[in-house]
Amino acid sequence: MLFNFATALVFLIFGGLFVLLNLGISRILQARNPHPVKISTYECGELPEGESWIQFNIRFYVVALVFLIFEVEIIFLFPWALVFKDLGLFAFVEMMIFVFILLVGLAYVWAKGDLDWDKPQSVPAPELSQSYEQKEVTETVDS
Amino acid sequence: MEIPISYYLLLSGILFTIGVVGVLTRRNAIVVFMSIELMLNAVNLTLVAFSKQFNSLDGQIFVFFVMVVAAAEVAVGLALIVAIFRLKQTVSIDKINIMKW
Amino acid sequence: MNPSEIIQNNINSLSYFLPELILTGMIVVLIIADLLLKKENSAWTSLLALGGLVIAFVAVLNQYDLGSRSIFNDMLAVDPFALYFKLLFLTSAAFVVLLSIGSVELAGRPVGEYFTLMTALTLGLFLMASATNLITIFISIEFVSVTSFILATYLKTRRRSSEAGLKYTIYGAFSSGLMLYGISILYGLTGTLDIYEIGTKLAASSANSLALLISIILMLAGFGYKLAAVPFHFWAPDVYEGAPTPITAFFSVGPKAAGFALLIRFFNVAFATEATNGEWAAIAGVNWSQLLAVVAAATMTLGNLVAIVQKNVKRLLAYSSIAHAGYALMGVVLLSDQGVYATLFYLVVYYLMNIGAFLVVIVVQDLVGSESIDDYKGLIWRAPLPAIAMGVFLFSLTGLPPTAGFIGKFYLFAALIKGGPGFYWLAVVAIINSVISLYYYARILKAMYFDQQDEKEPASLAVSPYYVVLLIALVVPTIFLGVYWAPLADLANYSVEFLRAL
Repeated sequence: MLFNFATALVFLIFGGLFVLLNLGISRILQARNPHPVKISTYECGELPEGESWIQFNIRFYVVALVFLIFEVEIIFLFPWALVFKDLGLFAFVEMMIFVFILLVGLAYVWAKGDLDWDKPQSVPAPELSQSYEQKEVTETVDS
Repeated sequence: MEIPISYYLLLSGILFTIGVVGVLTRRNAIVVFMSIELMLNAVNLTLVAFSKQFNSLDGQIFVFFVMVVAAAEVAVGLALIVAIFRLKQTVSIDKINIMKW
Repeated sequence: MNPSEIIQNNINSLSYFLPELILTGMIVVLIIADLLLKKENSAWTSLLALGGLVIAFVAVLNQYDLGSRSIFNDMLAVDPFALYFKLLFLTSAAFVVLLSIGSVELAGRPVGEYFTLMTALTLGLFLMASATNLITIFISIEFVSVTSFILATYLKTRRRSSEAGLKYTIYGAFSSGLMLYGISILYGLTGTLDIYEIGTKLAASSANSLALLISIILMLAGFGYKLAAVPFHFWAPDVYEGAPTPITAFFSVGPKAAGFALLIRFFNVAFATEATNGEWAAIAGVNWSQLLAVVAAATMTLGNLVAIVQKNVKRLLAYSSIAHAGYALMGVVLLSDQGVYATLFYLVVYYLMNIGAFLVVIVVQDLVGSESIDDYKGLIWRAPLPAIAMGVFLFSLTGLPPTAGFIGKFYLFAALIKGGPGFYWLAVVAIINSVISLYYYARILKAMYFDQQDEKEPASLAVSPYYVVLLIALVVPTIFLGVYWAPLADLANYSVEFLRAL
């Protein structure tokens, strides 16, 4: 058994060496002549704007979060589907209740408007929270 | 060819340690959550390995629950990070420190 | 077991699951009601939640004549031990709903989700109190954790609240990861997830004691996090300070008591064998009761010492609640019925006095707009009733007669002394700690009764009649239980007897 791993190891080592060797050769032989236009992302056509590390719109996060939750719940349907025939009606009813509760959650997200893409910017806080905020600032200064 | 269970346990131990070290040393909240995921996946590996060893399904069912709960936990965590980012424009744990002692 | 038997067992179990089903139904109703109601009417959901809690309370009371049994194929237990905790959770949740209705902090915010999550949190606590399988233990802990994360962050536009939520989430996820690793090791050692089977297997064959010790320590991380025991307490002060005050009151009582329920059931079933009447023996190789005793001593000492320097009352009460977790742990380390009984009794007493203290904090916060001890100066002249009530609760928290806190501590010390000389040192530590705690509780009392108020402050503050009723509803039992505590003691005693009856 160890021998089998040894072949894999040898393969890994040689694979790594091969890549490094080629990169090294091209590094030695290449002509290096950096120029702002040459090192830009698109050498011709598009003019790049800003950096490639951009912040995604926060809306993506909301959709991703909702997706994450509902997607993972599907995991419980797989074992259920596997033994469904043996268990019969009771299992069906049980799973329908489960799905119903998930649907309530989905309806909740929908009704609260978190699935709308052009969600109007919610005004987060009434004056109350602002006064809290100000007080906290002074509190921190004190302590 | 049967791979002995100690290999799985070793791997999961290594993964778990990496996760713990990540949680304790990294300062970016998102990376901290990734490290926690690593810890949970190490646990999943152990559970599945033992489950195979004992020929029982308990461990594998447990893994399902761990995955779902981890997703829920991370969803809440990410939502909190977004909320905090809106307030403070940072996700660094060192800078989220109004309250001490 | 063939599938039809399993299904039959599940169907039969449903009737013993009635309180939980009521809460589940109420959660769904609350979500739908929140969608249908207009924003300004969302306060009505509080009454719905309250109704659900009351119905569940009646359902729990009805379960008392069932005896103890195991339901859902040994996933959960319905026994007087669990019922005792369920009654505690329901009353504390109901009180917290009542506190939330009056709270200024929450006024003007949509509160539909708030009460939904509160009901969900209660359901999670129920499951924690009755879980007898590692899967249900894990799920119930996480259920409580995830809902708590959201509730702690409920005032998310406040920096403190969102910071508290993030810290809570990170510590929570981390400690649950540690606990899970402990669970997986335990599963590897025994090959089963049922805690009763784990108990018999560990008793029958001597497992590798080092692996077992590691597993126990890792699992303690999960339980200790729920109890806010040292060294897993870091989240507590920040979360208690940042969360809305009614939620802080709930956190300091509900999840903590549930953590104790889980700890007592799990450790006494899985890691101990019953030797003689009412006394257990820890399994060979791992002396976990000494480990817990050290944790208890460290918890109360740290909680009390750090509380001395606090200026914020909420934060002070957070450290004091850490210390009280240490006191209550003393009953668990004894490995005896009497110890568990003392802990059960203490948790109820602690619930009354701690929620009471937080209620006064809420009242003062609404009137003065501050949580600082300096703003409690001269409170007795400005608002006599809250000041007197706070005095009673603080006396009780210190453990002075004739309050309920004295009786609770008395039972704990009595159990400790009866447990033999092995734990005398713990009793000494606890007594020293009680003296330390007197010092910082007295600081609040001094500020309220003897210090002069600032002149610019208004001379008298009007306390709303709603709060007056709530204050009296908490002060009366705190004193009453200090004078006549037999019924509660009997109930606690009855609940212990069934601990291992399954």
